Amino acid sequence: MRVFLFSSEENETRKTKKYMKKILVAEDEPILNKALSEFLTEAGFEIISAFDGGEAAELAKAEKPDLILLDIILPKKDGYEVLDELRSDEKTTKIPIILLTNLESAENIQKAFDKGATTYLVKSNYKLEDIAKKIKEILEREK
Amino acid sequence: MWFVNDLNLKKQARDLGVKFWQTPGFLFIILGLLTIIIMTATYYISRNYDSPEMLIAVESLVVIVILIVGNSVISLVEQIIKLNRMKSEFVSVASHQLRTPLSAIRWEAELLLSKFRKEKIGSKQRQSIENISTLSGKMTRLVNDLLDVARIDQGRLIIKKMPVNIVAIVEESLAEINAIIRIRHIEVVFKNEKKIPLVFGDPEKLRMVVENLLNNSIKYTANHGKIELKLLKKNDFVIFSIKDNGVGIPAEQHNRVFDKFFRSDNVVKYQTEGTGLGLYIAKNIIEQLKGKIWFDSVEGLGSIFSFSIPVNRKTKQKRCLDNF
Repeated sequence: MRVFLFSSEENETRKTKKYMKKILVAEDEPILNKALSEFLTEAGFEIISAFDGGEAAELAKAEKPDLILLDIILPKKDGYEVLDELRSDEKTTKIPIILLTNLESAENIQKAFDKGATTYLVKSNYKLEDIAKKIKEILEREK
Repeated sequence: MWFVNDLNLKKQARDLGVKFWQTPGFLFIILGLLTIIIMTATYYISRNYDSPEMLIAVESLVVIVILIVGNSVISLVEQIIKLNRMKSEFVSVASHQLRTPLSAIRWEAELLLSKFRKEKIGSKQRQSIENISTLSGKMTRLVNDLLDVARIDQGRLIIKKMPVNIVAIVEESLAEINAIIRIRHIEVVFKNEKKIPLVFGDPEKLRMVVENLLNNSIKYTANHGKIELKLLKKNDFVIFSIKDNGVGIPAEQHNRVFDKFFRSDNVVKYQTEGTGLGLYIAKNIIEQLKGKIWFDSVEGLGSIFSFSIPVNRKTKQKRCLDNF
């Protein structure tokens, strides 16, 4: 009985998943990654998590998410390298990318926009709720 | 040596973290002595101008002494500049490191609250989680203030320039503090002329300045006090002013109000909260936006703080980095 219930639930989500927007969260700090993923799942998004830059770039190409949240300081490849890689690849060049980081110097922000970031958010200045709002705004705009 | 104690050179050396012979006071004495030596030398040379040996000896002596003293002055200045830069860098790095765990605490608390929104949770528990959330928000602002100060010191504070609705900023800031005004029974009046134009500045930084002045007024005004806010247009500027009947600032400290870490004596006695960074940051922001900030205060009667900000002149709105 239990198994049945579980699998039907699974089916439900699979059905609705077709209409859910897919978001890639690239964040190396496990607690932050978990908090973001859980909150955004609650908010009705499908979440894929990456914990380093290499994984983020691969997942972005394989899964083609609707939007990417990208940290700058990441192991293996940093956020800028990932950004370069995704922008130069035809399949991923149009995916909106939000840089979500705690770096906030003018050079960092300029560099991000030069490399084609959609927007730049400073982690500690935003509540999860505000981040979800920004994501929805950008997805609306991209429609 | 006798003068080391008499002239407070030891204290100076300790305060600056250098050896006593590197202190400005000591170097000044050396410069004085040097002047005397040079003058004596000139006197000797003029008396014995027919003795080239003496001339060479005295001249080389003077050159050597000048080189030694000059070198110490240069290395002292270099050392101070280096220390200052290291201090700013340390503050930047430490603040950045603090931000990640702070974001984590804040987000986790928010996550907890949102999870329990649907389920039942005791009001005490909810209050605790909300407190964690508010306090970590407060700490984030403190870290941001420290970072701003470090940036100002390094000349790297980023200020955006775009048309801004200052009336909305004041109204929103007032809404934020509504709860505390009610608890403290403080009367707040906001007068603004009908047509306040858009100003040219940085919306977030301007909000920071307004909130800072507002919070100061509330913090230093007793319960049942009164605060008056005003916005008016004068020539090409919009002037914001806030008047309170709080503790005021002692006259002898007026010239230090906008200094970094300044806190007035009468405030330190009664209040524990406050870093003395707010007005320093406010002054830097307003001045970078080509405005001015000033105040008038009488101890025991209250203060008026005002700033001016240029009216927006550009009709075409440039797309700015408005999202971070």
